Amino acid sequence: MIPEFESFNLPILSLVVLTPALVALALCLVDRNNRALIRQLALMGSFLTLLFSLLMVANFDSSLGTMQLEEQHSWIESLGITYHLGVDGISILLVLLTCFTMPFVFLSTWACIDDRVKEFHIALLLLQTGMVGAFVSLDLILFYLYYEAMLIPMYLIIGIWGGRERIYAALKFFIFTMVGSLLMFLGILYLYHHAGTFDLPVLMERLRTTHPLDSDQQLWLFLAFTLSFAIKVPLFPLHTWLPDAHVQAPTAGSVVLAGVLLKMGTYGLIRFAIPLFPEAAFDLQSMMAWLAIIGIVFGACMALVQNDIKKLIAYSSVSHLGFVVLACFIPNLESLTGAILQMVNHGLSTGMLFLMIGIIYERRHTRELADYGGICKVVPIFSIFFMLAVLSSIGLPGLNGFVGEFLLLYGVFSSVPLWGVLASTGVLLGALYMLNMVKKFLFGPLVHEENRHIADLNTRELIYLTPFVVMMVWLGLYPAPFIKMVQPTLTLYIEMLQN
Amino acid sequence: MELTISRAEIIALLPAGILFFTGLMQLFLDLGKSSANTRSEKTHLAMIGVTGILLALASLFIQGVEPSSGALYAGAMTDDLFGRMGAGVIIVAALFCTLMAGGYLASSGNNRAEFHSLICFSGGAMVLLCQATNLISIFVAIETLSLAVYVLTGYRKDLQASSEGAFKYFVLGAFSSGFLLLGMAFIYGASGGSISLADIAASTAHDDTLFAVGTFLMVIGFGFKVGAVPFHSWLPDVYQAAPALSVGWMAVAVKSASFFALFRFVLFTGGGQILAQILAAIAVVTMLLGNLAALNQSSLKRMLAYSGIAHSGYLLIPLVLAVSGSGAIAGASIPFYLFSYAVTTLAAFGVIVAISVATDRDDVQDLNGLARTRPLLALGFTVALLSLAGVPLTSGFIGKLMIFRDAIEGGFLQLALIGIVASVISVYYYLRPVVAMWFKEPSTSFDLIPASWGVQFTVAVCAIATVALGLFPNWLVNLSELSVQAILG
Repeated sequence: MIPEFESFNLPILSLVVLTPALVALALCLVDRNNRALIRQLALMGSFLTLLFSLLMVANFDSSLGTMQLEEQHSWIESLGITYHLGVDGISILLVLLTCFTMPFVFLSTWACIDDRVKEFHIALLLLQTGMVGAFVSLDLILFYLYYEAMLIPMYLIIGIWGGRERIYAALKFFIFTMVGSLLMFLGILYLYHHAGTFDLPVLMERLRTTHPLDSDQQLWLFLAFTLSFAIKVPLFPLHTWLPDAHVQAPTAGSVVLAGVLLKMGTYGLIRFAIPLFPEAAFDLQSMMAWLAIIGIVFGACMALVQNDIKKLIAYSSVSHLGFVVLACFIPNLESLTGAILQMVNHGLSTGMLFLMIGIIYERRHTRELADYGGICKVVPIFSIFFMLAVLSSIGLPGLNGFVGEFLLLYGVFSSVPLWGVLASTGVLLGALYMLNMVKKFLFGPLVHEENRHIADLNTRELIYLTPFVVMMVWLGLYPAPFIKMVQPTLTLYIEMLQN
Repeated sequence: MELTISRAEIIALLPAGILFFTGLMQLFLDLGKSSANTRSEKTHLAMIGVTGILLALASLFIQGVEPSSGALYAGAMTDDLFGRMGAGVIIVAALFCTLMAGGYLASSGNNRAEFHSLICFSGGAMVLLCQATNLISIFVAIETLSLAVYVLTGYRKDLQASSEGAFKYFVLGAFSSGFLLLGMAFIYGASGGSISLADIAASTAHDDTLFAVGTFLMVIGFGFKVGAVPFHSWLPDVYQAAPALSVGWMAVAVKSASFFALFRFVLFTGGGQILAQILAAIAVVTMLLGNLAALNQSSLKRMLAYSGIAHSGYLLIPLVLAVSGSGAIAGASIPFYLFSYAVTTLAAFGVIVAISVATDRDDVQDLNGLARTRPLLALGFTVALLSLAGVPLTSGFIGKLMIFRDAIEGGFLQLALIGIVASVISVYYYLRPVVAMWFKEPSTSFDLIPASWGVQFTVAVCAIATVALGLFPNWLVNLSELSVQAILG
């Protein structure tokens, strides 16, 4: 029995969005040398946010499929900007994913971030506010604010706490993203000029009824929005910032980047670019699909030849998110459900992989595959967890990756068989590069003496890795509750697209 | 002719009058004092300055948000909301410059009252410029403020560069005044001998070529002051040569006052489509050239000079709209943008003043590791740079939003597009100081001496104001819209 909280009339979404920012403000007042307090406060703040997000799920009626828990307040009336939040089946899982990931990300940084701890935690908390805010914003400018606000903390995280080439990577990340988002900004302003509102539901209604766009306008606006999201995803050939950013970012940065930030791109496609400009999306469907397929195969091939584990996972992300983009442009229930599940799955498995690479990097200070080999005998528990994450990533039945990938490919195949076949090669290649990596990393002879004394997972690490495994198994064995949350919304969404 | 002065006329003159009087007081009180006593901050001068400036600020509120007071002094000036907003920007800037001046002058070799009083004098002239409604008073106000600013530029007479910059500024400034006067003469002729803006607007000479040429010449004259390409070439050199604090004052106040006056002028008179096209071309070149040239600057002052040119380019967009006859759409962005630009730029120049006091240099690499040594200054500077780049949650973003929205609304989509491209370019150089402050380790060659409290206060207040205006811009946007509606009637 789900407890009924609605009588309190809590602004639940605002709580989920703003709690991390408020904790960040509180952290400003803490003495910078009191690292333990800073770490605990941030952790507690992120757990509190997780709690609020569970409250959000409890109040979410998954049978409806409409926008729920909406909050709308006037904000900048003179510019027509409102504070409009809402959550539906498309965004709820992503909000959950974000709120679920963050506490464990905080836990993972306790050993590796020693420099400017206070700033680091403030940046991560603000990043969380930005991410969740972008997922639940229903006002285009509000969305844009959060979307851009994520950029600065991430930029600082890569640039301050990153590796040797961090400044280059941070700058590349910032400029790539900024180019796209400013063009989207122009698109948003043009939409306002055309339809007179920034409010997403109202805008959708007006575009369909009173203020239709002609095909040229649709095309350019679609391109402006899609470019921005394609950079975030990142879609081939705009992916070049990702390997640099991933390799240079500290572990926490990589986890958030791969786990949540990249989904902003695919989410943006599903939420904004496609439903706002459906004709243009339909016209460019095959171009986008081919780019996605090239990305799938290209990312996989690049991953095959990487020696740096982090870079390998980064390229695997390019490949995995190619699947999601492909599915976004094929509007049937299976492919879209699969797309959303795959966003969550990729967040879980890749997030966990990055966490574990961080763990081993803390011990050995290298990410080169050649420096490892045979360590499964030295660190058995680590190896089991790592194997689980890898298997989830390549879609082994019984783990989360399988459900999403199967639905997604089934959906694609039933629409355009050729694309389904080509995309499936990505699954094969995925198994190839992942297992190849595991072989060189965990198995084989133990050639390096230094590797004999690597410590296995400690309690703290077990604590933050176990939840990921639990979620992977849950999503793999019993995904029904999650699919139920998603599908009513998607059914309405597809109906709307077909009109 | 009977000479009576009404109550409204006295109130209208109060802000400028108080500023002039404050400047005089400061001069008298410093008579006979030695300038060699360099380490003293001469706090009493700053105290008088702050008191006078706060009084001037208060006098703006006597009329409240009363949109318009009609023509005063036989049409020479007015006391409308638009003028009061301009005066507000300038008085706020004067306040912060005065606060920073004490510490800055104490470290320079020329610690006299003149600096304080010149800020008050030029500030008073700028306030008058914002309120001026006929050609004569516009010209007199511009000349008064220019003379004061020339001296401020050359204030560090111990430094050769400073004098050189002042001379360059003076020569080109005089040259631009020539354009301005010629333009005024043309307009005077074209409109059948009227000097008040209202009369010029009422005369039917608008599609006259002579009138368009006159307006264009006036725009050139103002273009020199705000640094619009191709009349910008003096600006980087002068900014680099002049004392940091004078540059901060010039960057904010001269630009604001000039734009307020120019905008009032074109709102009254329009100018026609051809002039709009020419102005649009100027805006495009200014945005692009300003941002592109800023990419490769290692001196912060020079970088901000080019960034200031680029921002003049953005500000020319509403002007284009006004000239092409859609001033009603574009008006509100000018007061808002200039207000936001003022607080943002003052926060940035606060940090530059702190650094140039400590090191006598202003290279980007002098900022290395500032986030470790002075985290709050670094945070303030970062906020300012992000706002200049137009990143959301800052006032700069709202300003750009308004300008680009109006451009699309007024049918100048291509201007908005180029503005966006220019903003993308600008991100790169605005991030360079951020990289230096946050990502690099402090260099061992110097230790930043403690920034004076005036600088710290300025950076803190202006950075907070930048964010606050980014989050809650509603009141200022409304006020800006109201002020422009009052002019348009």
